[in-house]
Amino acid sequence: MMTGKDYIESLRALNPEIYFLGHKIKSIVDEPMFQPHIHAAAMTYELAHDPEHEEIMAATSHLTGEKINRFTHVHQSIDDLVKKVRAMRLLGQKTATCFQRCVGLDGLCAVYVTAYDIDQKYGTNYHERFNNYLREVQKHDWMPAGAMTDARGDRSLRPSKQVHPDVYLRIKERLEDGIIVRGAKTHITGAINSHEIITMPTRTMTEDDRDYALSFAIPVDTRGVTFVFSRQTNDTRRLDGTIDAGNPKYGIVGGEALIIFNDVFVPWERVFMAGEYDFTTQLVETFAGYHRSNYGGCKVGLADVVIGGSAWVAETHGIGRASHIVDKLTEMIAMAETCWSCTLACSYEGYRTPSGAYHINPLLANVVKLNITRMVYEWMRLAQDIAGGKIITLPSELDLANPEEGKMIEECFYGKEGIPPMDIIKMLRLVENMSVGAGLPEAMHGAGSPAAQKIMIARRGGFERKVDLAKQIAGLTKDTHFERIIGKDEETHWKEVRTKTKEKRVQIS
Amino acid sequence: MLSIGLRYCGGCNPRIDRPKIVRDLKEGLEKQGLGVSFFTDRRKAFDVLLLINGCMHACSEQEYLRADQDVKMISVKGEMVDDSYIQEKDIPAYLIDKITRIMSPY
Repeated sequence: MMTGKDYIESLRALNPEIYFLGHKIKSIVDEPMFQPHIHAAAMTYELAHDPEHEEIMAATSHLTGEKINRFTHVHQSIDDLVKKVRAMRLLGQKTATCFQRCVGLDGLCAVYVTAYDIDQKYGTNYHERFNNYLREVQKHDWMPAGAMTDARGDRSLRPSKQVHPDVYLRIKERLEDGIIVRGAKTHITGAINSHEIITMPTRTMTEDDRDYALSFAIPVDTRGVTFVFSRQTNDTRRLDGTIDAGNPKYGIVGGEALIIFNDVFVPWERVFMAGEYDFTTQLVETFAGYHRSNYGGCKVGLADVVIGGSAWVAETHGIGRASHIVDKLTEMIAMAETCWSCTLACSYEGYRTPSGAYHINPLLANVVKLNITRMVYEWMRLAQDIAGGKIITLPSELDLANPEEGKMIEECFYGKEGIPPMDIIKMLRLVENMSVGAGLPEAMHGAGSPAAQKIMIARRGGFERKVDLAKQIAGLTKDTHFERIIGKDEETHWKEVRTKTKEKRVQIS
Repeated sequence: MLSIGLRYCGGCNPRIDRPKIVRDLKEGLEKQGLGVSFFTDRRKAFDVLLLINGCMHACSEQEYLRADQDVKMISVKGEMVDDSYIQEKDIPAYLIDKITRIMSPY
């Protein structure tokens, strides 16, 4: 297993083609704009070596028996599913941002499960290929970027009917030794600081979309692959110093990128789906299930930090015991723990798939994510409420550092006696970073938008059974257990009750 | 006569109609003239254990999946039977087929 430092050094050996702000980036490790994202991902490596955290951060490979980082492990039990979300919460607490590596993990697990099922139906050998790939991932402790979302163009048209065919990643050509792929994947988390890319289709495909039913893995510096790093709220504050960015160590969200595949060659041994369109729904839903369950871990870890920050800000301004502050902090905790309960439940309610890997409860996983799309906004709203208007009006650190005005500005930010105003400013910047920035829409759209969760919830909610339950209670259908309790059939029972009522033989008149 | 020990999960939130599956299974076996007896008494010995779980979590498997258990088992778990995905409507026929195969030496 690599340490955090090993991971960062391992990125130096790669040479991906990356563009940002109109420039080609020579070395991501040395580029200040990317530092926070790299540090956040490095935490997933570092904690696996810490005896305080290795119980959840490391795992035992079912392929080799070796100790591996949990982010390269395919879940083999309910316990693995639970430990994964515990790891998510821990990492959220340690970084206060997205640590990016869960997307690749979920990609690995989803492809593992689906490749097995494709083989069962078609006699292909995708699962064997994938296991060989997984061994490499585990051996080298790679971070693969999970790449699912295509650009998608006109959403009313199927992939094969798009005017611009490159809005979906597809097989352009099938060769004896591999395939040529072309297209794009959008807002891919952690893409530029990953070792590999593992792709999956973004939606259900039909027979006409056969060439879009595609999954493969390649190194990030494969010829023809280009990354365009996305902008984030206040991103260039990273170039201003160390305070205004709010979380200069770990940044905001995951560092997403557009990935362009310009006639890229993929050898067959790295292809895990090539045309089996009837398994695209399964792959998408399996990935989405795993990924949506994570949000009740990582975002709750972030909530732990922002609740702590809010409480500290209130305390240092002398209002820590005010009833409205305690009420708001309590609300924040209750919401965060609701999401945590939900993600634990969807892990404990998981099941064994035919491949042997364990999957979460898909209905509950979608409920986790739907709650997150609402509750993160609510607890961040309360954080803003507690922190006050300062989080959007603080002067810049350049003004604070200015010898002419700096001291005077600093004095304006004194709170309780004995608390350095610069500490208060730093904490307010952290609350700003977490509650105002790109983290909010990420909670909304990451792992799929609320509409996607509702489709899954409606599909798996079991309306028919709920109708049956209501019918039974309302007396529209037979209630066997009730009849056993009263020792006769319902019709006779109610006839007797009506007679008793008529004859006023009831005790309550 | 093949004896089948029948065990249901607790049925907290089943995704399949468990009693209907067992009813259809019994009817199907009867129609085919197969001598099979079902019982839920946990003290009785059985040839095959049939677990009827309402969902894929399969609560009732926990007791029987321990390494020291050596039982011939079929596990229905939502729309899965053992390691195969089977739609609810097809589960009784799938079980009849499985049980028929088991019965061939009888």
